[in-house]
Amino acid sequence: MSDPEPIATAREDGRATLTEAEGKRLLASAGVETTDFRVCVDADAAVEAAAAIGYPVVVKVASPEVTHKSDWAGGIGVAVGLDSPEAVRDAAAEILAAAEERGIAADVLVEEAMDVDRGTEVIVGGVRDPSFGPVVLTGLGGVFTEIFEDTTHRIAPIDHAEARSAIDELRAAELLYGYRGSDPADVDALAAAVVAVGDLVVGHPIAELDVNPLLTTADGVIALDALVVLEDV
Amino acid sequence: MATRSEVVLFALSNSVVGPRLSSSVSGSRHPSQCTTVRTRWENALPLFDEAWGVSLTHLFEPSGVAVVGASRTEGKIGYVAMANATNFEGPVSPVNPSESGELFGSEFVPSVTEIDEPVDLALCCVPGPAMPDVLEECGAAGIGAAVIYASGFAEAGGDGAKLQEAIVEVADEHGISLLGPNTSGFLVPATDLRCSFASGVEEVPPGNTAVVAQSGGVAHVLAFQSRRQRRGVSAMVGLGNRANVGFAEAIEYFDGDDRTDSIVLHIEGTDDGRRLLEACRESDTPVIAYKVGQSDVGAFAESHTGALTGDHEVYTAGFAQYGVPTVDATDDLLDAAAALGNAPTPSGPNVGVVTAQAGPGIIVTDRIQRAGGRLPELTVETKQRVDEILPGITYDDNPVDTGRPMPEFGEVVTAVAEDDRVDIVLVYELFEAALGFPVDTLGGLADRVDKPVLFATEGIEEELESERDALAAAGVPIFETPERAADAAGVLARYARLHADEAGGAGGRPPSGGSRGADGEVGRRE
Repeated sequence: MSDPEPIATAREDGRATLTEAEGKRLLASAGVETTDFRVCVDADAAVEAAAAIGYPVVVKVASPEVTHKSDWAGGIGVAVGLDSPEAVRDAAAEILAAAEERGIAADVLVEEAMDVDRGTEVIVGGVRDPSFGPVVLTGLGGVFTEIFEDTTHRIAPIDHAEARSAIDELRAAELLYGYRGSDPADVDALAAAVVAVGDLVVGHPIAELDVNPLLTTADGVIALDALVVLEDV
Repeated sequence: MATRSEVVLFALSNSVVGPRLSSSVSGSRHPSQCTTVRTRWENALPLFDEAWGVSLTHLFEPSGVAVVGASRTEGKIGYVAMANATNFEGPVSPVNPSESGELFGSEFVPSVTEIDEPVDLALCCVPGPAMPDVLEECGAAGIGAAVIYASGFAEAGGDGAKLQEAIVEVADEHGISLLGPNTSGFLVPATDLRCSFASGVEEVPPGNTAVVAQSGGVAHVLAFQSRRQRRGVSAMVGLGNRANVGFAEAIEYFDGDDRTDSIVLHIEGTDDGRRLLEACRESDTPVIAYKVGQSDVGAFAESHTGALTGDHEVYTAGFAQYGVPTVDATDDLLDAAAALGNAPTPSGPNVGVVTAQAGPGIIVTDRIQRAGGRLPELTVETKQRVDEILPGITYDDNPVDTGRPMPEFGEVVTAVAEDDRVDIVLVYELFEAALGFPVDTLGGLADRVDKPVLFATEGIEEELESERDALAAAGVPIFETPERAADAAGVLARYARLHADEAGGAGGRPPSGGSRGADGEVGRRE
């Protein structure tokens, strides 16, 4: 099996880190739904893309040299809730100017805005453990992972039932099953994404893959961001 | 014994055993390839793979033994190893070119190539640098296994690592299994094969648990504990640096060993975790693991058997995924082995408890639920049966509390054991000299109802000894405290959950649907 296009492109460029767009294309190729997005070279293209995607949108810096987009350039790397052509144009122009100032090659990514309150933010990660090889990690987003370390691990590849057990073992799994009247999340779709992330790490030279967050709603899951780091060649 | 040799170490040992998955995975690769990490040397040595099973047979079931570096000087390893080895039923030959005459009734020979009797196993009590030559001679003599006690190999880094590579090369060429280096050896008490230089190993009794420890020191801790618990071991192995015999090879061997009914693992870390897990999954014999290193013990452990300790959470999750319950103490390991190795495999996590005293029963009840078990309500029929046996009984649901030892105690246990809602039976009773234990009732009960029946008691040791031995002889696993019995029942419950797929369903994973069962609640605490 040859590597999918996003990985091949990064390899050709001599990059170990995939851009967000490449990461999302990789996820999409594995059957994990992602937000609709376009990569644009200038502000005009960004405005066109926003019209095609539909407002509101998110505009992000798109560069292999920027992995922590929201921390970049004083916080202008991610602009959310943009609901007009003017807002998109300004955000895109600001990002491109900051990139030029810093001497890095950058595009802008225009992306469908998601209402994160519609669901639960979940983290699905894949790593290559020195002793066990591909391992897939599942955790609930934000404080649940960062403070409570509420994550579970499985040696990949795994089947659907194993992925369900990895989800159900989370201490805060109740949140996914309808908490205080919220709709139960589509846990089977989440399990399918956990399986897919494990399979990606098993099947390709990926050192680390973070889908953070994966918005899990009653109608399915959607990856809002993706970070993929390849193994050393 | 935790010898000084075990304490000065380093991190390369497994690089010579199996390729590291991290570096060997490049480009596309099917997951099943991960199950055959041995491939690399199988390809290099096509004959060695066929000889593989035979090789560990040479180690653990030799026709004869050579003690290389045997010495007349008391206190030297070459003397102690010879002294312990001579208990073996087959011929044991002292090998030393500087000695002559006899030692423990056997004639010294200058080289393993000059032993007239059949010999499969060399116990090497010589310094590390002499090992490549010794192994060449072993190869020439057709010896299939060697124990290397010396340290100063991979764990020492630099030249030591090169020396380890050199001995593995020679061993591979001749198809020799190497236990160690940097180990204190192994025991097979049933055949009096006592290849350790620790004092007291001749007292370790035969049992049906195979102890496979990364550390020779921990192997001995477990072996001596098993003696105090009157359980014994089918074998005790300290793997040390795992030059070419590691966890997977040991598990494969003991799974096929008739004397072994359970396998316990002590693990500090291995670079080849996936192969270890695959071996566990392949084993029909229950495996229980104790992975040390929930806190950061990395540097000390690496300096010990030269292995990375790894992410404890990944180990624990991996073991559960591959059907291996984990515990957190050496005595828990042997208790779990006693439960899993001496009872029918439970078909679910539901524990029925019968106690003659309320207090210990409450401890058991509390503990079992935290350990992964579940206490089901008994059926109406069982409660009626119990009420008929003991009108006005203290408490007729689960746990059933008879209030005191009594002649009818065995009948009550039988009623609970025959309850369809119960998968595992735990009995607690303080010893009452006038009544003894219900040996006749408990003996054979587990087999008849096809469920584990665990028994825990307390009393004056000398008074209850004969009754206890009678119970043990009847095949009942016995535990020393209410907590340890409850924890053992918890391991059985977890084992049942982890193997629910094979058993055909009871217990098992949380249902895949919206709601989560109590199984999920408890199971996740593994």
